[in-house]
Amino acid sequence: MTVFDEFQKHYRQRDLSAQQWKESGGKVVGYFCDNVPEEFISAAGFFPLRLSGDPNGDTAKVGNYSEEGNVFSREGFVASMLHMLQNGRYDYIDYLIIPHARDSVHRLYPTLLRRKESHPAMNLPELFYLDNLHTSFFTAGVYNNKRWLQLKTQLEEWSGKPMGNDKLAQAIAISNESKSLLKKLAALRASDPPRVSGVEALTIIGTSMFMPKEEHNSLLKKYLTDAEQLPAKSGVRLFVEGSPLDHLQFYDIVESCGATIVAEDNCWGNRYSDVSINTNLDPTEAVMERYNNKSPCTRMYPLNRRVEYCLESALAAKPQGVIFNVFLFDEMQAWETPDEIKVLKENGIPSLYLKDQPYRIAEPEALKQRIAEFIQSI
Amino acid sequence: MSDQNKDKQMRVTNAVRAYQREWIADTRQRVSQGEPFAICNGDDCEEILNVMGIPVIVVNYWHAIISTKRMDQYYQSLLKERDYPASIFSMGLACTMDNNSETAPWGGLPKPSIIVGGARTDTEMRILELWAREYGCKFWPMEYSLWHGIEKAPPPGWFDRIRDHWDELVDPVKLDYRVADQEKLIRYLEVTTGRKCSMAKLKEAMELVNEQMEYWRKARDLIAKTSPCPVSLRDQLSMYQMMWHRGTPQGRDFLKAYYEEVKERVDNNVATCPNEKIRLMWINALGTPPRWAQWAEEKYGAVCVTHNYMGIAVDAYARTIKNNDPLRTLAARYMLLFWTTPDWIAAQARHSNCQAVVTAAGIGTKAAYEQAGIPMVSIPSERDDEATREAISNYIESLS
Repeated sequence: MTVFDEFQKHYRQRDLSAQQWKESGGKVVGYFCDNVPEEFISAAGFFPLRLSGDPNGDTAKVGNYSEEGNVFSREGFVASMLHMLQNGRYDYIDYLIIPHARDSVHRLYPTLLRRKESHPAMNLPELFYLDNLHTSFFTAGVYNNKRWLQLKTQLEEWSGKPMGNDKLAQAIAISNESKSLLKKLAALRASDPPRVSGVEALTIIGTSMFMPKEEHNSLLKKYLTDAEQLPAKSGVRLFVEGSPLDHLQFYDIVESCGATIVAEDNCWGNRYSDVSINTNLDPTEAVMERYNNKSPCTRMYPLNRRVEYCLESALAAKPQGVIFNVFLFDEMQAWETPDEIKVLKENGIPSLYLKDQPYRIAEPEALKQRIAEFIQSI
Repeated sequence: MSDQNKDKQMRVTNAVRAYQREWIADTRQRVSQGEPFAICNGDDCEEILNVMGIPVIVVNYWHAIISTKRMDQYYQSLLKERDYPASIFSMGLACTMDNNSETAPWGGLPKPSIIVGGARTDTEMRILELWAREYGCKFWPMEYSLWHGIEKAPPPGWFDRIRDHWDELVDPVKLDYRVADQEKLIRYLEVTTGRKCSMAKLKEAMELVNEQMEYWRKARDLIAKTSPCPVSLRDQLSMYQMMWHRGTPQGRDFLKAYYEEVKERVDNNVATCPNEKIRLMWINALGTPPRWAQWAEEKYGAVCVTHNYMGIAVDAYARTIKNNDPLRTLAARYMLLFWTTPDWIAAQARHSNCQAVVTAAGIGTKAAYEQAGIPMVSIPSERDDEATREAISNYIESLS
């Protein structure tokens, strides 16, 4: 088994490490999105597991679980995670942190809270709502810090012991090493020629959120040792902007059309790891500072910060084109996309805008044709 | 039927429309002379702006005007052409993008000095930011606005407690932040416009709001207990325009006049549909009457006698000022105006002797309403088309 095979195994069996952790007597803390400080979770002695969806899972019944009788339109990946929580696929999770992220995510809190009350046999985890604001003003940081500290206190309560600075410093060091290694991976994709495909990169980045970080770091170091000798990837260099991608189907399709995805802007890709934690600060301050100032996701104000981030990320990877892959109901991404396309065009980069995309691509051939035509036009 | 008890348009609603026309003309004139003008999202600072003498138009009111003028489809097409998602909340932005005073309702709005809005939904802040960019004016983001209290479930019967016990329902830490946000906005407005705000003026404004809503309650109660219904839903909803002049003597006086005219109608046995057989409650987001109302009245004697906006006016806006601090009380109301819970909707429907609530797909579920004790008729869209009529007919014919 190659090192990459090991990554693939964990990408396919995302609960593997968490289940092993449970078997050895540990507890698992699940969380949504990339704005939950996983370093706090590790330092408290828990296994941090970022929840992801399953495009092949049944989400048809999700509407029946909606809060207060109201049915909200949810992006497919959020609907999928909700369904998995309620059909027992995540029944090994002890605690679940729901951040104030996109509407469909933060509304999961009341949905699951009521579900827990009405269906105690469902074995849903204990919930914690992590509030934070949608701007990056100084005052927002002051407010958010109080909320990050609430999370820290909650984790201490769950673990039954205070979170020592030594433990947190250790978690930060491991997290920073992970980010540093993932940046090296990103550099290999952005190199000319690329040495790592988009599918490979997404697999490796994703598994860093499903495996113990130390173990992942160790594997990734092995993978990177000879990575420059990996066969060069051919095809048109593409950058992918758009909705969070927690599965490989879209990248598989794009790269099967004669392209290599050299970078992306979403929270399951390079954006997850591009801001490290300042080790010159007090560990708690450092974690809060990092999460207050990490690269912006689509829910953040102002728009120009998002557009600049998209452009800078794209330019750094020297793509020949950009594909916008925007899920149905992901209106946040849809509202910023026209500005991003415009600024990319001004910089000589053509775009293909795939709007209202399904979470599970049921008709890949039609999509392939559009992508192939775009690639040919470059 | 004598001429006296025919359902004519109410005098007060005509007066409101005339007032609104004068208001926009006057505002346009003042803006042309360099005075400030603001756009804000509904329930996100109107009282503060009114107290400071800064004319303000509320986003959802402007959208209702656009919808009433049937410009929504056109503006949605315009947004789609520019690759933006088309939604109700983006109609004002589309109107500004169109920049066509010939086709825009009211000839379009005067250029605002500021647009104020919050993060109550994913896209609100982004749309308002883009709107301000389109105008070339300041956008002022408010972090906490309506519906940020998701950590707690709405307690049953919350609508009977919110006026006096709002402090039990709003998160105090978020409230601190919202108060600070408002203080910053006030200071910014004072610096940039030279207008002043004061606690005394805010207190006076909130007392005027409470008076205004009390007249609304009295009018609503008269309509609720009178059958056939004395006031059309169109006229009831027309009065909602005065909601956007909350905290002003005009806002209070118009509602007083409304109550007095409703009473006069009740005394004179005026009926909006003399053949009333079935009473319904209509629920929609924009506060516009149903487009199928006339058909339902003529075919079945089914009359929409109330709307969720009436409940909002009566139950949601009045607040008891606590600790002599109107700014904090107001902030709490901006953060929590109401929850659209089935028990509240059902209570309103029962109060108005409605047999069912009617709403377009997506707002609530039948099971939730049934659990709250009122049947819900779900129609596929707000259009007056065959599918909508079929859904309503199916319900009404099932009663016989």
